[in-house]
Amino acid sequence: MDREVVFVDGVRTAFGRAGEKGIFWRTRADDMGVKVVRELLRRNAQLEPERIGDVIFAATAQVGDQGLTLGRDVGLLAGIPQSVPGFAIDRMCAGALTAVTAGAGEIAMGACDVVVAGGIEHMGHHPMGADVDFNPRFVAERLVDTSAVTMGATAENLHDKFPHIDKDAADRFAVASQQKAAAAWQNGVMKETVVPMAAFTDDGWKVADRDEFLRPETTLEGLAALRAPFRPGGRVTAGNSAGLTDGATAALLTSAEAADQLDLTPKLRLVGYAYAGVEPELMGIGPIPATQRVLERAGLTIDDVDLFELNEPFAVQVLTWCDGLGVSPDDERLNPYGGAIACGHPLAATGVRLVAQLAYGLRKRKGRYGLTALCIGMGMGAAVLWENVQ
Amino acid sequence: MSDPITQFKLNRVDTRLGPLALVTMDNGEDYTKPTLLSRSAMESLAGVLPELESGDWIAMVLTGKPFVFAAGADMKEFPKIRTREEASFGSRAGHELFARLAVLPYPTVAAINGACLGGGAEIALHCSARTISTAVRHFACPEVFLGIFPAWGGTQLVPRLVGVENAIKFVVTNPLKQNRMLDGAKAFELGFADRLLEPVEFVDESIVFALELADGLRIERGVPEADVERALRKGRSQVDDAVHGAAPAPYVALDLIELACSGASIEDGYRAEEEAIADLMLSRQARASLYAFDLVERRTKRGVGIPDVKPRTIEKVGIVGAGLMATQLATLFLKRLGVPLVIRDLDQETVDRAVDTIREELEGRWCPVEGTTSIDDFAGCDIVIEAVFENLKVKKQVFAELERVVDAECILATNTSSLSITEMAADLEHPERVVGMHFFNPVAILPLVELVRAEETDDVTLATAWDVTKKLRKRGVLVRDAPAFVVNRVLTRLTTVLMDALEHGNTVEETDDAVLRLGFPMAPSMLLAMVGPRVANHVLVTLHEAYPDRFPLSQTLANYANGDDTIVVVEQLPRSVEQITNDVLEAVADEIGQLLDEGVVAEAADVDTTLILGAGWPFFLGGITHYLDSEGISERALGSPLAERRAAAAHA
Repeated sequence: MDREVVFVDGVRTAFGRAGEKGIFWRTRADDMGVKVVRELLRRNAQLEPERIGDVIFAATAQVGDQGLTLGRDVGLLAGIPQSVPGFAIDRMCAGALTAVTAGAGEIAMGACDVVVAGGIEHMGHHPMGADVDFNPRFVAERLVDTSAVTMGATAENLHDKFPHIDKDAADRFAVASQQKAAAAWQNGVMKETVVPMAAFTDDGWKVADRDEFLRPETTLEGLAALRAPFRPGGRVTAGNSAGLTDGATAALLTSAEAADQLDLTPKLRLVGYAYAGVEPELMGIGPIPATQRVLERAGLTIDDVDLFELNEPFAVQVLTWCDGLGVSPDDERLNPYGGAIACGHPLAATGVRLVAQLAYGLRKRKGRYGLTALCIGMGMGAAVLWENVQ
Repeated sequence: MSDPITQFKLNRVDTRLGPLALVTMDNGEDYTKPTLLSRSAMESLAGVLPELESGDWIAMVLTGKPFVFAAGADMKEFPKIRTREEASFGSRAGHELFARLAVLPYPTVAAINGACLGGGAEIALHCSARTISTAVRHFACPEVFLGIFPAWGGTQLVPRLVGVENAIKFVVTNPLKQNRMLDGAKAFELGFADRLLEPVEFVDESIVFALELADGLRIERGVPEADVERALRKGRSQVDDAVHGAAPAPYVALDLIELACSGASIEDGYRAEEEAIADLMLSRQARASLYAFDLVERRTKRGVGIPDVKPRTIEKVGIVGAGLMATQLATLFLKRLGVPLVIRDLDQETVDRAVDTIREELEGRWCPVEGTTSIDDFAGCDIVIEAVFENLKVKKQVFAELERVVDAECILATNTSSLSITEMAADLEHPERVVGMHFFNPVAILPLVELVRAEETDDVTLATAWDVTKKLRKRGVLVRDAPAFVVNRVLTRLTTVLMDALEHGNTVEETDDAVLRLGFPMAPSMLLAMVGPRVANHVLVTLHEAYPDRFPLSQTLANYANGDDTIVVVEQLPRSVEQITNDVLEAVADEIGQLLDEGVVAEAADVDTTLILGAGWPFFLGGITHYLDSEGISERALGSPLAERRAAAAHA
């Protein structure tokens, strides 16, 4: 890469429970994006907003309060000068990571020096798959298995495919995720990466300052009793998967020179990234080839990586990745602050949460390389490799 | 449907300094139903106060639902107040609750996020500090406009916070200037708020400000120095000019402000408000104001009598004539509708002058105006309004020519102030598309449009005229086609009494005084000059033809119309000013009785609405029928109150 790309900062809203009971039910999705962008600019006040070259926002549902080419919409609403352009992007769960890599591409090409990249998903306002018109050819020509469109069903497929990863393993991973997340809210990582946001609700104004899905009291026994919604007698439950979530994230990326010139303090250097495609009905394995590819291109092995921030849509999905890469599920390098099972997974927003937490973790551990990875609906995986420069 | 109940909703926010109380005033509806501090709201406040008084709170932030802070007391509760005790109880209840807010032992911040009126402003003033959003457009204490005064501590706290001069403006003189309000920036500038914040993160930033206060930040507030006596003297003379002693509320408010500036304790101030509101709340003026407010804010918005059919879409407008009225109408249509508009007069010079004026008025905004001398250019118009010379023959000819050019569905509206619209439509192929839209001069200021239904006018034409009126942000009142409709008929009847007095030896000063002492904002002689004596005399002639007994022609007015201000005294028999006032009122009562009997409007309330909106008659008279009835004048002149005639007309 001619120009080094660095991650300067990343923030997110607290993640809310999607639906009428959630704290963000009456908050607009784009306003959540506005909040994180303004917080990013507030924290990095040295940066004059007109220096931003592009505002990139991901959303899976690009309609309603997530429509109107979100990056532009959010930029204007956040008070970024009109001269700064913006756009919207979609790669479902890897939306924010794709915003990051797309922005990195612009910077590496020399098209701009500073990019704001993030993601928003208000799954309460935009239930998964709503307004999607699946092409009948997928089924008629058996291009994909019909289970591919229901993410929970693809997770059941993973259990089928890797029978040694059973429900008990998934539940144990879920309990650990809840415990790690509970601990994380006691240390500094959430203070550094979560910005409280006032939200108007039926009960008046509240401040969303904690993830609504946290359940530190979760036990194995409790999880064992939950029913499996995707298949009678199945293994995937609400307890070992991420709930439907409202949230927004945003990251500040710059070229290494620009960071220096603007007196910004970079946290991570982007080493490389890879996206991979797999069978749609087994979409959860996507991160395995993506991880392998990005490591291979960087000339590194899995042992060179000091920290992994993986999305946790389903416990079984992380476990297949561990299985495929030879990493123990209780390896302390893996999701040290818990994961989406505990905090929620607002589809296109999650990527930047992973990067921001990775930056914090690498600094605390004085680690060098870190990996952020997610699986993606319709059979894909994303992996982005970072180097700590703090 | 019952009104939404306002609740004070308390939530706890954990901050670095400890728990912060975040309180929202919310009625569970969107901004179209503003949150009111109704009786139930006060009960809700009483319910959360113990929690606020007992918790380990480090600060409180009080705010409203999106776009609304609080729009004050619920005026629908006022008419239920029957006794002095009830009136002062409402005031005392507010004082007691708000005073408890004021003494909470931690910083309290009113975060004024949206409309903040009356009681809303008063509860904010009882907090220890205030933030206000730049998006706020309505910050005011409009009570004096409604014949009362801010009686939840407003008269006492406003002068303490912003000084006597600003207090007089805010509490007394702004409400008398068509209820002028402050925006967020202005309120901040005058010292009502301590921080002016952008709306985008308003509640978050208000919380940050509350935390700064909890952390020990002290606010320096400089109350402007002023000569209290001089300021009050000036205030009283401004009030005299506006209401001529006819409405007590502004004077009472000034007295209370004076008390606040005299070094009286806040408790003494509260007691004085409780006493004074007991007097005012039951006063004729307050009752009349509430009645008038209900007419203007509720009844006219409902569109009483307007058929419930889908209005036509207006994509091109025509204005016939390019004189003063036509130019004003064209400007209004272009400003509000923003659709192509053709304005036509007979000579190019007049047209060019009108187009120039219109462009100037539009100040560089989208202005798709076309000036023409050819009637053919009205082709394609969806509505054409004629504002040509007041002559039936000329108007009929205009409509006949138009009908050859425009589609069968094009609405033909007339701005005539007195002529018969039924007659105007009579010879047309499609008389059902003709409707009266009578605007009032100056068009930019007076909100009324008399929507005149002629005999043949069909439902869709009327519904479209109503819809257009709404889009022009005017208030339409439905009237039947009758000579001079309502406003001009009543005003002209009034004028005949004044002319008669002049012609019997009274002076203009006396006739002006006779009307001004009712509390009118403008002397009739000035009004006549503004409307134009030529128009006034023309209306008189029309009415004389219809009702020769009640509308005698006046040589004096005819002189005025010809630019000659000679008063023709027929007999030296001057009356006292009191007598003239009485004669005016009895004549007006009689004329309104006739109007109702003829069914020109559905109810006496419509007469009141038209006079408030079309002639600027003050709220505290409640239009006029309310006044005539409550003073016993209609009874004397007609044998029964107008309200009862209203009932009789409804049965007929």
